[in-house]
Amino acid sequence: MLLDRLLRQGAITEVIGSLSSGRTSLLTHCLREATRRGGAVALIDADHVFDPVSAAAAGVDLRRLLWVRCEGRRQDALKAADLLARCPGFAVVALDVGDSPPRLSVAAAFRLRLAARRSGVALVVVGSRRIVGGAAALSVRTRRERLAWAGRGNTPRRLAGMCTGLQLVRKQGAPSSGVLERVWWTV
Amino acid sequence: MVDGVSRLACVLVEGFAAAALERCEPALRERPLAAVLGAPPATRVVEANARGRAEGIRPGLSDAEAVVRCPTLVRRPVSAEAEAAAHHALLDACLAVSPRIEDVAPGCVHVDLAGLTRLFGDDETLARRLRRQARVVGLEARVGIAATRAAAGVAARVGPGLHVIAPGGERAALAAVPLAALEWPEGVSATFRRWGLATLGDLAALPRDGVGARLGKSGLAAHDLACGIDRGPFRPWSQPPSWEEAQGLDWEIVTLPALMPVLERILERLCARLAAAHMAVDALDLRLALASGGHQARTMALAAPLTEAAPLVALLALELERQPPEAAITGVSVSARVLPRRAALAQLWHPPPPAPRDLAAVLARLALLVGGANVGAPIVLDSHRPDAYSLAPFDPTEPNGLADSTDEPATGTAATEQDERIAGPLVLRRLRPPRPVTVETHEGRPAWLHGLSNDRAEVVTCAGPWRASGQWWDIDPWARDEWDIALADGTLWRLAHDRITKSWHLDALYD
Repeated sequence: MLLDRLLRQGAITEVIGSLSSGRTSLLTHCLREATRRGGAVALIDADHVFDPVSAAAAGVDLRRLLWVRCEGRRQDALKAADLLARCPGFAVVALDVGDSPPRLSVAAAFRLRLAARRSGVALVVVGSRRIVGGAAALSVRTRRERLAWAGRGNTPRRLAGMCTGLQLVRKQGAPSSGVLERVWWTV
Repeated sequence: MVDGVSRLACVLVEGFAAAALERCEPALRERPLAAVLGAPPATRVVEANARGRAEGIRPGLSDAEAVVRCPTLVRRPVSAEAEAAAHHALLDACLAVSPRIEDVAPGCVHVDLAGLTRLFGDDETLARRLRRQARVVGLEARVGIAATRAAAGVAARVGPGLHVIAPGGERAALAAVPLAALEWPEGVSATFRRWGLATLGDLAALPRDGVGARLGKSGLAAHDLACGIDRGPFRPWSQPPSWEEAQGLDWEIVTLPALMPVLERILERLCARLAAAHMAVDALDLRLALASGGHQARTMALAAPLTEAAPLVALLALELERQPPEAAITGVSVSARVLPRRAALAQLWHPPPPAPRDLAAVLARLALLVGGANVGAPIVLDSHRPDAYSLAPFDPTEPNGLADSTDEPATGTAATEQDERIAGPLVLRRLRPPRPVTVETHEGRPAWLHGLSNDRAEVVTCAGPWRASGQWWDIDPWARDEWDIALADGTLWRLAHDRITKSWHLDALYD
């Protein structure tokens, strides 16, 4: 499944989607998989939105997570991503650019790709639109398919889960298949 | 001990004041150097290095005489800080060979070699090892080994650079040593000449009581030395609680690029000492003496213990860039808070973490970029208060039980279709601070929301309330009702109603 092929060592994976589409849960899934294998991960949080409590509940080993909070400074977030992409030893470097992604030139994007390739890190960029462009080896779009509510009657008691559709937008060296895979996130 | 006989070494650095200056400026070893004391015109030579001694520079010469004897002589004022640091370095070097050493005098250390033969080899090997360790910390030492400290001290001072006296041969080896080759207290050497004594053997042949009656305590000490006898106990020296290297400057330094070579030399000396003692740097305390007469001190904690000088120099440079000195610098001292070095065991099935020096450098750069308070590993606090967490220093080498766990996180229940898969929990994107909103309710449930980007948002579905509260016994109690709401624009929020302030706010977004 596409979910199992998101982390690519030495390459950039881009996850794009609107709010409440499941893109953050997908990112957390990647962090969980990397930390469960014993790797160190870094998360550059442009808008200071990362929730350690739900990440820990999702199985992310927070002791192996380096959290860099940029307090809304997007250019600093890009610089931090560049610094961490050049540091060998991180299994995943994730850049969450939020809903107002910064502009990234083509040259800067390919420099980032080269840095990831040299250090062997899997760089994951998450945002509301594509910013890495052709430098990404894999681009995936998330789309919310449906919600599940639990409880009797017309007034649900709690949110049970959310179904996210994953669509392959771009894969380096292969045409985009447009195939939709569906994954459930539970509450 | 060898066959029940104790073996002791004396490690001696000749011309210690000059050797301490050479340690700070290694280029001076290639030139005749004199350590001088006093203000002109009363400047006098205290010590000279080997090249200086070869040119006839002796302690006590005036500055003018010294320059006449050796026009190319380099003179440097005696530095108490450099001597203290050099002596500590010598002690550390000897500790790397034996855990039992005695601090005799600046530049002189006694080493107990008991039990080391099985570890390192014979006396010759031990002597070479001691000299090698001294070279590692920047000092050229002479080593003498004998059954007593007195005999070992004489062996170190006379003869070849490595001098081993065989067990039982102390008396015979010392007998031929000329009295003029050793330093004696004032008046004692004149008395020896008057008595016609030429060698230590001549002095040892005299009755001890008679020498003591005529020369007092110094005579008794001289007689014991001539016989190779130790009267006093061995006083083991213990590790000092701090590690410090310092350097005074002959001129003021105004710019950071000019300060970097000084810091580099200081940290190289410090790291060499720490390496000899199998220690790593956990934090650095930098103290700058300023031309204004004051001092500027700062502490730099490291993300991971380091043992190499180059990354420490880079980190100090970043720290000084962040907070430059307030005035010109006239002196620098760096002290290290240390930890024992421990071997990091790589785990077979886990990828290696970032190397400590790479990690320390990147963390320092990130701290400079976004602020030190915004970089770290999150820790969830033991509290029911929402968004309760703190940041701790990031250390991926901490032993981890979770990574080895095969337990899957709780995924709850949700109706899935055949081609769907439960991937994991749904996480939140927090709003910091929470966004205040106005809520219109219908039958006690949120119906419309005001305060988002669009003027009025319809709540399509809402689930709740889930009541939570805490710290009711404290000065900062909290109590709230939480709702999960889906808006018409497709977003999914966690809405909270504060029961104490009666206000509504959006806490987080499900994504």
